[in-house]
Amino acid sequence: MLEIRSARKVFYKGQADEKVALDGLDLSLATGEFGVVIGSNGAGKSSMLNAISGALVLDSGQIVINGDDVTAMPVHKRAMRLARVFQDPMRGTAASMTVAENMLLAELRSNKRTLRRGLNATRLAAYRERLSLLGLGLENRLDTRVELLSGGQRQSLSLIMAVGGEPELLLLDEHTAALDPRTADIVMQATIRAVEALKLTTLMVTHNMQHAVDFGHKVIMLDAGRVRLEIDGKDKAQTTVPDLIGHFSVKTDRMFLAS
Amino acid sequence: MDILQNTLASFISLVPVTLAQSLILAFVVLGIMIPFRMLSFPDLTSEGAFPLGGCVCGVLMAAGMSPLAAIAIALVAGFVAGCCTAFIHLRFRIHTLLAGILMMTMLYSINLRIMGRSNLSVFGASTVFDWAPGLQPGFPASKIVVAGMIALIVFFLLYHFFRTEKGTAVRAVGANPDMAEAQGINVWLATIGGVGLAGAFSAASGALMVQSQGFADVNMGLGILINGLAALMIGEAIVGKQNVLCQLAAPFVGAIVYYQLVSFCLAAGMPPPDLKLATGLFVLAMLALPSLKRSRGPAPARETVRE
Repeated sequence: MLEIRSARKVFYKGQADEKVALDGLDLSLATGEFGVVIGSNGAGKSSMLNAISGALVLDSGQIVINGDDVTAMPVHKRAMRLARVFQDPMRGTAASMTVAENMLLAELRSNKRTLRRGLNATRLAAYRERLSLLGLGLENRLDTRVELLSGGQRQSLSLIMAVGGEPELLLLDEHTAALDPRTADIVMQATIRAVEALKLTTLMVTHNMQHAVDFGHKVIMLDAGRVRLEIDGKDKAQTTVPDLIGHFSVKTDRMFLAS
Repeated sequence: MDILQNTLASFISLVPVTLAQSLILAFVVLGIMIPFRMLSFPDLTSEGAFPLGGCVCGVLMAAGMSPLAAIAIALVAGFVAGCCTAFIHLRFRIHTLLAGILMMTMLYSINLRIMGRSNLSVFGASTVFDWAPGLQPGFPASKIVVAGMIALIVFFLLYHFFRTEKGTAVRAVGANPDMAEAQGINVWLATIGGVGLAGAFSAASGALMVQSQGFADVNMGLGILINGLAALMIGEAIVGKQNVLCQLAAPFVGAIVYYQLVSFCLAAGMPPPDLKLATGLFVLAMLALPSLKRSRGPAPARETVRE
């Protein structure tokens, strides 16, 4: 379960270019629920994800994961509870290390790291099996350095790494936006399979309205640092792409008036 | 022909002495490689940590402490120095190179304070090189055996460590700090520990050097960094750096080859004052090579380092 309580963050406070990134944002996601976050650029989607992962320190407000207040926890401590896939395939993997080493790092995310041998035969076999589910042939390239993989392969690897430890919360930050349509589809299908199989509590940011309509239990629309719209249950099932885009255009008009 | 023969003869006569020296200095090269390659943290502390180790060891030996204990304390001093550099970088967001320059400058004064004067003779005090089994103390052979054994032990320990779960995490910090943090790795701890370890190796090298040459000098670190870097480049050119084994072997191989090369140049009549210029040009060439090679290709390969 994820709860964001009146989160507030202002960049460049007191300066001419002061920007309110999060303006008393409230959001909650039940255990096992899959939320899709949409919103125009600058609406606060990335700030929200950064606030949840700990990369962004809030001015005020709280982040609660499964009942525990994690607001004051540094990024590496929160990593025990949550996993994140970035838009940029380069950010989620260690380029100069091998596929197997990256898998090991992800596996140890929620465990204590010891002075025992990292990559042993049992682990390598397990990684081979998990990677074979993708059908990209990564299982035969365990000793390949990640920098030699294509963007799609790296992103698929990031996804497998993220869902591996069954995190309490999975954050997907436009994770298919940088991929070609076919690869994006493969990665998206793999995402849905994993999220459904493991019943992961998931928050996915996307600019793809079709994805927002097709996937997830609820759509959350952000605007100017707060939740503008939440569609769930039956309404979500009946929502179409034009409906969602309609909400965008309303917002854009308002922006015109405001400026 | 005569010149060639003379050169060769004097070079060969110097091989054992140079080998002993290079095995001792291999630890500085190791202390440069670990932050640079494993942590992407170009660290200049070794220029100050090397004489720090020497000064601490010299003072303690002059006070009658056992050579091994003197090395151990020098090691700790170097570790603290390395930790300070990493902390300055992390806490105050000061560029890694500047943090290193600050630390090595401050260490110069600290080294003078520790010794109380600019140099100190410990000639005649017992050293770890006296313990070489079955060899007469004081000759290059005993130094080669002792330094070589320490090098082997350190090499295997590090090789094991960097393949453990903790060691893999440390390498991840160098490969992608943001990703490492997102995977639950404490970037501060790994960086401070790693750079500290490197400082410890540099200091240990200084301590061994003092025991080998019989005196400590505050200026003994002058230029050690560029020598170490040159040795590292040579080592990486010979054994590569594609995996942990090669990356760890590079400092040792590089140190051995580099100091023999220097000895050869000197035997061939190169004036010693030109040595630093030659070394600098060599390091420049090695660092520039990738960008020269790929000037027509796609993205030029640059060293990616933390800033």
